[in-house]
Amino acid sequence: MTTIAFEPRRPNIATANVQLPAVQSYEQVDDEITATLRPTKAWFLMLMIAMSFLAIGVASWMYQIQQGLGVAGYNPPVMWGVYIITFVFWVGIGHAGTLISAILYLFRAGFRTTIYRCAEAMTVFAVMTAGLFPILHLGRPWKFFWLIPYPNWRLLWPQFKSPLVWDVFAITTYLTISTTFLFVGLIPDIAVLRDREKNPTRKAFLSFLSFGWRNTEREWRHFARAYLFLAAVSTPLVLSVHSVVSFDFAMALTPGWHTTIFPPYFVAGAIFSGVGMVFTIIIPIRKYFRLQHYVTLNHLDAAAKLALTTSLVVGCAYLVEFFIAWYGGVQAEQDYFWNRVFGQWWWAAWIMLTCNMILPLSLFSQKLRRNPAWLWILSIFINIGMWFERFVIVVPSLSHEFEPWQWTTYAPTWVDYAILLGSFGWFFMWFLLFVRQLPVIAISETKEIVPPRLRHAHRHTPADAEDFEPQTGRAH
Amino acid sequence: MRGVLGHFRELDGAVEAITELKTARLGDVTVFTPTPRHEFELAVAPPVSPVRRYMLFGGLAGCFFGYWIAIWSSNYWPLVVGGKAIGSWIPYTIFGFEMFVMIGALSTVAGLFIHARIPRLTMMVGYDPRFSHGDFGVWVECAPDRLSAAEALLRRHGAVEVRGER
Repeated sequence: MTTIAFEPRRPNIATANVQLPAVQSYEQVDDEITATLRPTKAWFLMLMIAMSFLAIGVASWMYQIQQGLGVAGYNPPVMWGVYIITFVFWVGIGHAGTLISAILYLFRAGFRTTIYRCAEAMTVFAVMTAGLFPILHLGRPWKFFWLIPYPNWRLLWPQFKSPLVWDVFAITTYLTISTTFLFVGLIPDIAVLRDREKNPTRKAFLSFLSFGWRNTEREWRHFARAYLFLAAVSTPLVLSVHSVVSFDFAMALTPGWHTTIFPPYFVAGAIFSGVGMVFTIIIPIRKYFRLQHYVTLNHLDAAAKLALTTSLVVGCAYLVEFFIAWYGGVQAEQDYFWNRVFGQWWWAAWIMLTCNMILPLSLFSQKLRRNPAWLWILSIFINIGMWFERFVIVVPSLSHEFEPWQWTTYAPTWVDYAILLGSFGWFFMWFLLFVRQLPVIAISETKEIVPPRLRHAHRHTPADAEDFEPQTGRAH
Repeated sequence: MRGVLGHFRELDGAVEAITELKTARLGDVTVFTPTPRHEFELAVAPPVSPVRRYMLFGGLAGCFFGYWIAIWSSNYWPLVVGGKAIGSWIPYTIFGFEMFVMIGALSTVAGLFIHARIPRLTMMVGYDPRFSHGDFGVWVECAPDRLSAAEALLRRHGAVEVRGER
């Protein structure tokens, strides 16, 4: 006879072995998670706002195409501005999703279970947003396909030694794999929606999307193996993509850019900003849909520790940059860093340092880690801080290169700000549509945590506890 | 195809029924479960999924393609810079790696689809929407003279509903 026992856990201790004591049955999981799919007035209002922002962005881009890139505030030699900053920002946001869904899956971190779907969707939409910016940055955006290697009448191929071409491959791979990972994970959940759907049109659509998934043991066996391998290849991909993005800068001789610390520094920053955006999204969702017993304080606490760790890594990287500039003894490098913190760009640098280094130190307090309101406020500061981190990387370096006659300033124009606003509209529009159509919490994985119904009541004994795997509630 | 479908509310009842069906060799067993459970894997004792091979061979093919496209096009349209190799393997490792991941992952998904036999156009005999909700199903495909024995076995282990299908 199969016997399964469940050990009660202390509720105030964040642990990788997370259980959901308030979730009692598989049916409850289906009912409560699918309830998030009902449209509400607030959802329509949010969608309208997001689409308005997007419309502003699109209109500004049209204006830029008509007038030329001069309206975007570029001031030679500062020829990378808000668009490249925002590109790196959104790529960074996209990192937490794969980190949470793939890396934490491999590490068997139980707290990922109820937040990874949101994070994965966020990744896909963030990378979709990021991918627009190099195109927006082109003077002739309709020629972006020149970066794709294919036989053509021009007899021209991309320069494969250029970091910009590396970026094209890295971002395309990342978008493809993130989308695949999200969709493969969604198949069993779409089957749940299909089986509950009453509307025949929508049922047919969901049947198509679920590929006729039937929940057989055979399907689950191959699914689990494929998911594991997808997670395994996504893990180095997460680390490589932002490393490749950092090469856009590190391969140049520009002061502040030409440094080997950039790849790990960018990866840590990307994960930090991504976790920040996860908080920005998941905290309102858990409150609005009353999912506090799924995304519990233990989950938020554990994710906050991840944010704190990456904040410390990023903070360390900031300080090491200063040390290298001083220790390296290169005058241009030293001047640049002085100018960054105490000169022309002091305000941007201090916004970055305050938001990314100082405020996250509050997460050493367990009380604050378990305070959703504070986490949400902090996440906004993290988002702002991480945007300014990229501003501080891009603009001060280009405006303060080797020759004094090159030194200049830079100020974004209303077109830059409007397109930045439009990018948030684009991102949140997709996210809101996702929330309305598909479950924001993984149904089948959440069911793995929930104890199944048993025919034979079982008394807990110490011997059973040894056989019990608390994370999944499975007997060995 | 002919058989009986047992509908279970409890996990242990379904697992016990499968174990006994396997011992009695009444027919081929298909299990329906709303979430993957190790208990079923132990009871059914299936072979290891071959999906990992798709990852390996797809990844290697992708890696080869990544290096090849970069080296071939560099030689086809050479950008000669004094003292620099026309095809340089260090930066081209990025293409090898990215294509390894992309083709490897897509091959893995192809392997999943092939071995899980999806996409499926019809829901086949024996499926019930309750199996994605919270209940477990055991479909036994067997000869007509064994149907009653299979039905009795399923009921004995707590199946709340047993029905014959073809």
